[in-house]
Amino acid sequence: MASIELKNIRKTYEDGVTVIDNMNLEIKDKEFIILVGPSGCGKSTTLRMIAGLEEISGGELYIGDKLVNNVSPKDRDIAMVFQSYALYPHMSVYKNMAFGLKNRKVPKEEIDKKVKAAANMLDIEEYLHRKPRALSGGQRQRVALGRAMVREPAVFLLDEPLSNLDAKLRTEMRSRISMLHKELETTFVYVTHDQTEAMTMGDRIVVMKDGVIQQFDTPQMLYNHPKNMFVAGFIGSPQMNFIECLIQKKSENYYADFTYYSIKIPNKMNDYLKMYENKNVILGIRPEDLSIADKNDKENVMELYVDIAEMTGADYYLYGKINNEKFIANVSSNQNIESDKKYKLKIDVDRIHIFDKINERLICD
Amino acid sequence: MMKSKISHWISFAFLLFLSLVFIFPIYLVVINSFKSKFNIIGEPFSFPDEDTFVGFENYIYGIESADIVGSFFRTLIITVGSVVAIVVLTSMTAWYITRVKSKFNKWIYYLFLFSMIVPFQMVMYTMTSISVKLGLNSVLGIIPVYLGFGSGLSVFMFSGFVKGLPSEIEEAAMIDGCGPIKTFFYVVFPMLKPTAITVAILNAMWIWNDFLLPYLLLGSNNKTLSVAIQLTMQGAYGAIDWGGFMAMLVLAVIPIIIFYLFCQKYIIKGVVDGAVKG
Repeated sequence: MASIELKNIRKTYEDGVTVIDNMNLEIKDKEFIILVGPSGCGKSTTLRMIAGLEEISGGELYIGDKLVNNVSPKDRDIAMVFQSYALYPHMSVYKNMAFGLKNRKVPKEEIDKKVKAAANMLDIEEYLHRKPRALSGGQRQRVALGRAMVREPAVFLLDEPLSNLDAKLRTEMRSRISMLHKELETTFVYVTHDQTEAMTMGDRIVVMKDGVIQQFDTPQMLYNHPKNMFVAGFIGSPQMNFIECLIQKKSENYYADFTYYSIKIPNKMNDYLKMYENKNVILGIRPEDLSIADKNDKENVMELYVDIAEMTGADYYLYGKINNEKFIANVSSNQNIESDKKYKLKIDVDRIHIFDKINERLICD
Repeated sequence: MMKSKISHWISFAFLLFLSLVFIFPIYLVVINSFKSKFNIIGEPFSFPDEDTFVGFENYIYGIESADIVGSFFRTLIITVGSVVAIVVLTSMTAWYITRVKSKFNKWIYYLFLFSMIVPFQMVMYTMTSISVKLGLNSVLGIIPVYLGFGSGLSVFMFSGFVKGLPSEIEEAAMIDGCGPIKTFFYVVFPMLKPTAITVAILNAMWIWNDFLLPYLLLGSNNKTLSVAIQLTMQGAYGAIDWGGFMAMLVLAVIPIIIFYLFCQKYIIKGVVDGAVKG
């Protein structure tokens, strides 16, 4: 168990490319932190720097109270689970799990006890004598988790551990890892590019882009109050709709005007919109904040020509275009909806987000 | 369908012919080793019959006169020593220059490749004279010389295999408490086993059968098998005891054929792995 602190961390490669610049992050003891972002955003590099597998070009990294910039991976009291599992192919499952303890000269009886306890917890007892090549993807991943667990490290690092598994197994392993975190009461740092994994597992989430932290917050805060358009678009599935609109004041109320529609903005946002009067902003509407309008609904209603209607079970995903931009609505499936037809949609204006068009930062929500 | 059958039979016939071309000299050596030396030159292709068959006479004569036992052990020491040195040291070298990316390592790698294309005959006199000056003209001294000659191909083969290994396994070992030496011997080397066996077989066959290098460096004081056979069976004025010569040739190749048969499945696997993953 340990906290992790990154102070002004920088990573520059030999060719001069800087992938992480001036990164500051404080991870509390026993927290489950997710690093999420698109490919190449620097999330894996950050994790590898914490593990000691990547040299730190600048700044300070603390695990607990100890500065570990120049401490080798084996002395950092960490364990890591890799995307490719990275099991030793010539060793049995038992030996794979025992290897780290053996290197630390733990007595044989204790190794045996720990390996069997971890195997029991992960349901891999019957495979202990097998070689990794005789196991399925999910079983290998559990062995990799077991290998990390038996070490009882202060910090658990997981680098996209579920990426190679099929959808069903991924859901199962997701809850298993969350349970493991509860039982082990250790700090977990988990890298993924899958926002569903991030939202369902993490206590707090670090959203990264181009080596810079965009927002570090709880899943609820990221979803309800994204700090910029990148976070708003990245978190949530299907992703948030963005519409360019003009802010206009009509008799003490502000309106967001686009194409033929004028959306009345709630009064709580008035103070923030004063300086944007008669200026273009970006209106963010989550697909799930739209619903099929009643005949009586007159205000905050827009029309969408549905190109494709996808039924997912409980919901319909309606795909169309507004202002030549892709627009998605997520509405209840308790009524029949067909493609190539127009539907009136009601916007839940209390849940809209307004972003600055130039710097893409949140103005109000 | 018909066309593919015909091409199948053509390639079968061609390969059969090729096999016979390669097997025929070995067949000649074996049958002639049981014939009297006077019948070999006159009827080299005939199978031993009542008049020409001499049993194991040639073998007994060869073993008695050519110091076969001494030569056998010298060859064994040189072959085993060189092969162990080549396998251990070149696999470590290949791992290092593949994993640690630098311009220097790139050049070292090219230097190893370059050494493969320099023919031995081109450097044999200068190399022999340098080796003698360095005191390498002994049974143990020749091992580093073989290491030098064998390292080009071996580093090339090991590098091809190492490139195909995921580096995460080595990183996992580092986190599990291994330093570089332990990572190599406990994690990397076991994974290199197929290539290591291939490298061992190829080098063992070459070193065991080599004539020129031990002839130049060790001369007649420390004869290896191939040198002993040549020097002993060649009499005065170029006269050759063909019977003894054939018998000793058969004896000399038996150990390496047995070694090959035991390990041949690994040769193919190792060569293919190196080729594909390189």
